[in-house]
Amino acid sequence: MNKVLTSLLSLGVAASAALAADAITAVKVANVADAAAWSKAKFSSVTLYPQTAIEMNDKKANEANEAPKAKKAEVGALYDGKNIALMVKWADGSKDVQGAASTTTYSDGFAVQFAGATKKAQPLPYIGMGSDGRPVVVHLQKATEKVYEPNGNKDVSTQLNRQQTGVFGKELADYDAKVASLANTDYERVFVGEGFRSLTEVKDKSIQSNAAMTYGTNGWSGTLVRPLKDEYVNLSGTVPVSIAVWDGSKMGRNGLKNLSSWLAISLEGQKANAAVAGELADSKGNAAKGKEAVAANGCNGCHQVEATDAKSFMAPSLKNVGGYSTTAYLRESLVKPSAVVVSGYNRNAHSNTPWYNVEKGKRVSTMTDYSFLDKQTIEDIVAYLKTLKAEVE
Amino acid sequence: MSKRQLAMVMDLNKCIGCQTCTVACKTQWTNRNGREYMYWNNVETYPGTGYPKNWMELGGGFDAAGDLQPGVIPNLEADYGVPWDYNYESLMGGMSDSNHFHPHVSPTWGPNWDEDQGAGAFPQDNYFFYLPRICNHCTNPGCLSACPRDAIFKREEDGVVLVDLDRCQGYRYCIAGCPYKKIYFNPKISKSEKCILCFPRIEQGLPPACAQQCVGRIRFVGFLDDEESQVYKLVHKYKVALGLRSDYGTQPNVYYVPPTESPAKFDAEGKIIEGSTRLPVEELEKLFGPAVHDAIATLKAEMKKRKETGVSELMDLLIAYQHSDMFRLDNNYYQQVAKENKRNPLAPVDTRYVAGKFTKAGGHH
Repeated sequence: MNKVLTSLLSLGVAASAALAADAITAVKVANVADAAAWSKAKFSSVTLYPQTAIEMNDKKANEANEAPKAKKAEVGALYDGKNIALMVKWADGSKDVQGAASTTTYSDGFAVQFAGATKKAQPLPYIGMGSDGRPVVVHLQKATEKVYEPNGNKDVSTQLNRQQTGVFGKELADYDAKVASLANTDYERVFVGEGFRSLTEVKDKSIQSNAAMTYGTNGWSGTLVRPLKDEYVNLSGTVPVSIAVWDGSKMGRNGLKNLSSWLAISLEGQKANAAVAGELADSKGNAAKGKEAVAANGCNGCHQVEATDAKSFMAPSLKNVGGYSTTAYLRESLVKPSAVVVSGYNRNAHSNTPWYNVEKGKRVSTMTDYSFLDKQTIEDIVAYLKTLKAEVE
Repeated sequence: MSKRQLAMVMDLNKCIGCQTCTVACKTQWTNRNGREYMYWNNVETYPGTGYPKNWMELGGGFDAAGDLQPGVIPNLEADYGVPWDYNYESLMGGMSDSNHFHPHVSPTWGPNWDEDQGAGAFPQDNYFFYLPRICNHCTNPGCLSACPRDAIFKREEDGVVLVDLDRCQGYRYCIAGCPYKKIYFNPKISKSEKCILCFPRIEQGLPPACAQQCVGRIRFVGFLDDEESQVYKLVHKYKVALGLRSDYGTQPNVYYVPPTESPAKFDAEGKIIEGSTRLPVEELEKLFGPAVHDAIATLKAEMKKRKETGVSELMDLLIAYQHSDMFRLDNNYYQQVAKENKRNPLAPVDTRYVAGKFTKAGGHH
């Protein structure tokens, strides 16, 4: 499929007339695998916000990401009777590929997240890796060098360093060729997640997808083709997706990334799902009043709204929460703090400030339940939180 | 905390820095497939830069409040050293090679780059000792706490800390979190790897390769709750074996008998300064904490007792007459665990290391 993808990418660049923000239309084509189909794609501009809910313990990475900025990406989509295809294009000044001989380089990469099919589709899963009972499927593509990874095949005979094989000349050349033939050429992974630390790789090929990324002038273009329906997702009408990109030069990996909020892709010609659109709608509250309410209710006693607030590990940081969170999620978190618990750090990492307790096998948030506030105040707080987001680069 | 805890004691008075342990480990585990630069076991000269370079200054571990501290991930070239090899192939093949025998990279750094240098001025007051280091299989591991994927686990059966290679995605926060920098990133498979305390050997009643091969017989291995084990006696009964940099808050389970004997200093004329000692006790206090003073006092008292009376259980123990006394590994215990879990007693008792902690057959979760 690589050949097809390369030609897809070149066509995609030509068709990059950006439409209005956050409205992505998947154009129906006969076959998404047909390179020519991308000439029909409509590209939309989306914003990818830095993920700052958690600050991890890598000192240099934290320094490199002290004042993270949001990024713009262009997203186009196609679908046919069976598959959906996405193309994501984003600026990145350097091509970063994790080397096979370095402990301190990191790869550029991108991921597309879909909401898992559940009985109750709304509200959508938590944007960061899903939540209990609301799984997400994440397709990840990283730019890597050819990597020989025999562990998956339990193949130990070819793990030997070539210098230790004890053979020379043609025999050594044959050994090298055998090792090279076993190399992984593509770092593509699919995961299912129900919240931080639950992400599990799908290895049984029950998700048939193909992702690829190519570096062009000053940026990457990534594509993903996956079925509209499999045992994990069932996509029709309005498809919620989220897109993330990693920047290797900023030591990006794991949560150190830029991600979009849930975005709606309308499958052209299919009936739209009003519930998804409703969930993604803006809040009608008054942000200025919301700011006062946040101060009055002491949110910054645990959450960082400004850098001078509580220590970063006490609760998820709210500094960029407006960029990637939906209004529905913010509203829910205020009135039902345990509906989605950002499980955050390992509980040993900050054992005196647990974000949750486990009661009867369920995570119960240590946050106060703010359902006692009146509806208008909650809307105002949500409106204010939606304004908390990093500037675009 | 695990149900039981395996521990190792290393007697620094007896380490001769021969690196047999290093080689035993390397040939068994780390001479291939992206692990070439790793030393799950290393022996460094103290005072010195250590391995990786200046590991004590790279952060990680916990502060007094129990919060994980940020750390730095060492660089292969600058901090570990790129392992070099030689042009055997062209030489063996009779090919012309103008440089003759030469390494394939220009070596700029490596483990033990400063071996035997130590501190002080030769010959007046120079000193050093050897510090062998493996993973401490901590009770509160920094690596485990740092992992955002729960890919690191501590075995219930014996407290061995392992990386679930199926869950590990190579984020490397564990390396920043470990204050000992005893967990490593394998760039070839993009996963973290570390000392596994030779658990496949342990489960069969054999000590870890580093301990078995130790020429100086400095390493004792056993369960900390086994009062007959020498590790119990050294750590709990006589309290002469102490954790390395316990101030990092990870509760390490490798213990050290501090070096007690060092020669006297020389004056400007090259004469012995009576009563002086080259090894500053402050250095030992930095490594092993304030309890080092009592440990040294006990060791000296027992040494004196042995000299005078010929009897000292502690001295006999440290002489390490029999491997069978030094290693109490309780093969029956593992057999019992295997039986309880209805497993083949020859297979590892805990298959998570090979099979993945959360990944069920087929890859669903």
